[in-house]
Amino acid sequence: MTRRVALVGTSAIPVGRHQTRGDAPLQVMEQEIMTRLVVDAVADAGVEKKDIQSLIFTVPRPYTLQKYFHTFLVSHLRLACTGMVMEVMGNGMTAALAFDQACNEILLGRANVALALGINMEAATPSVEHAMSSMRTTGDIDFQASAGFIPISWYAMDAMRYMHDWGATREQFAAVAVKNRHHASLNPLAQYRTPITLDEVMAQRPIVEPLGLYDVPGRSDGAACLVLASEDVAKTLGRPYAIVRGRGFCHDGSHQINEIPNDMTELIAARQACATAYREAGISAADIDVAEFYAPCTIVEVLVSEAAGFFARGQGAPGAADGQTRLGGRIPISTSGGLTSRGHPAYVTSLYNLIEMHDQLCGRAGQRQVKDARLGLTTGELGNYNAALMHVLEAVR
Amino acid sequence: MTLEIIPVARRRAYPPRVSRFTEPFWSGLAQGRWQSTCCEACDKFTFPPKPICPHCWSDRMQWKDLSPRGTLYSWTRVHAAPRVFTDESPYALCVIDLDIGLRIATRMVEREGIAFENGMPMELVVLRFEDGPLFASRPA
Repeated sequence: MTRRVALVGTSAIPVGRHQTRGDAPLQVMEQEIMTRLVVDAVADAGVEKKDIQSLIFTVPRPYTLQKYFHTFLVSHLRLACTGMVMEVMGNGMTAALAFDQACNEILLGRANVALALGINMEAATPSVEHAMSSMRTTGDIDFQASAGFIPISWYAMDAMRYMHDWGATREQFAAVAVKNRHHASLNPLAQYRTPITLDEVMAQRPIVEPLGLYDVPGRSDGAACLVLASEDVAKTLGRPYAIVRGRGFCHDGSHQINEIPNDMTELIAARQACATAYREAGISAADIDVAEFYAPCTIVEVLVSEAAGFFARGQGAPGAADGQTRLGGRIPISTSGGLTSRGHPAYVTSLYNLIEMHDQLCGRAGQRQVKDARLGLTTGELGNYNAALMHVLEAVR
Repeated sequence: MTLEIIPVARRRAYPPRVSRFTEPFWSGLAQGRWQSTCCEACDKFTFPPKPICPHCWSDRMQWKDLSPRGTLYSWTRVHAAPRVFTDESPYALCVIDLDIGLRIATRMVEREGIAFENGMPMELVVLRFEDGPLFASRPA
């Protein structure tokens, strides 16, 4: 029988502001957070230190002074490994790639237990300074950044075009923010937990028109650790787990915009990657019970909900406003609170999404629990969803 | 046909780097010339200009004048700018589909009394800063 991978344990610090300013007399140290998280995740999984043969790290932000953090941390844990120990980088896709690469370690037979883990510290760095770095992560730094393009400006133009093509309204996008804040109010790992109203979202100052403050992510730090195991190991642990049923990746061959004019809000890479993951899992979109999206802005959640096959084109925004993506709705999305409210420590964001998925599929999501959740979809992306990485997981209880 | 040149009394906030290859684009732009590379093998334009055709990978690339007109595909106005752009904020950005079937992204110049609307006709202009040019577009 083919080898399969299970997500068997997790740990994380609440998303929030953890980074200390450079001049603070007492500093928050990344290795102190991460060693604790590894110990906690391994205990949560019920595996032992000697079982771990691979660690796939998300690359830290440049503000983390300790370079080669992965090999440094391995020494703090005295983890000798014969599987891979490495850092991965893929912009917003970074954490989804870490998970995917950890799956590969198990599928290749290099490890029976592997960790996907990382820390993202940036929130003490002022936004205008951080933007000097992030403006170089999207678009062309000579021909586009010189005009002032920033990562969320591309999503904003998605929103403007989607409104034009489908008659969507700002209120419909705002409904996504309200819904996600409600979900976050039930999530102890979430950064922004005070419920908000539609009027409050609409009244926020513009950030990138037509998106306002609550349509876009705040500044977040986070750290998390996932424990992956071969199915054989998972079966011996005597507790629920989530099995990886399907994976899909696609890069559409463009960077932000396609120089041959296309339908920019169709997110063809997400569409293709979902189709691949569903096919591998032998399911269709209608079989998915819960979804955790990498969706930095409200508009992105709408577009991915269509690309994933939960809504027809143009129906994602009215569907969200109609409550279909809320807990208790037809297809609950971002039950963690999503990137706008759970928080968005970008390089580890997908680790948090996978933690939420694991909680949902293992029946331990508390007040956020989607009843009888069996199949879940998580998404990762980079650019303007120019590349997408999807995972379908199934509950084994 | 050269682009209208609009003087701007300041330096560019985040000047583009110039390579030996892209130098003709920026020096031409300073004179109002709007051009990019076109592939001799497959006849396709590309923007920004590139020494290898992204479509067929030929290196037979020629500088040719680009269409200065297109339509507005989408736009935004940025209020949360990086440090070097804060004193220009808010500023508008857009995606334009040029008449020749090429999609580009540029700074957008406001025109008094004209609201931005997707689908509206647009034209390219040159912003002549004190230290060099940038391209931009505005309602035609």
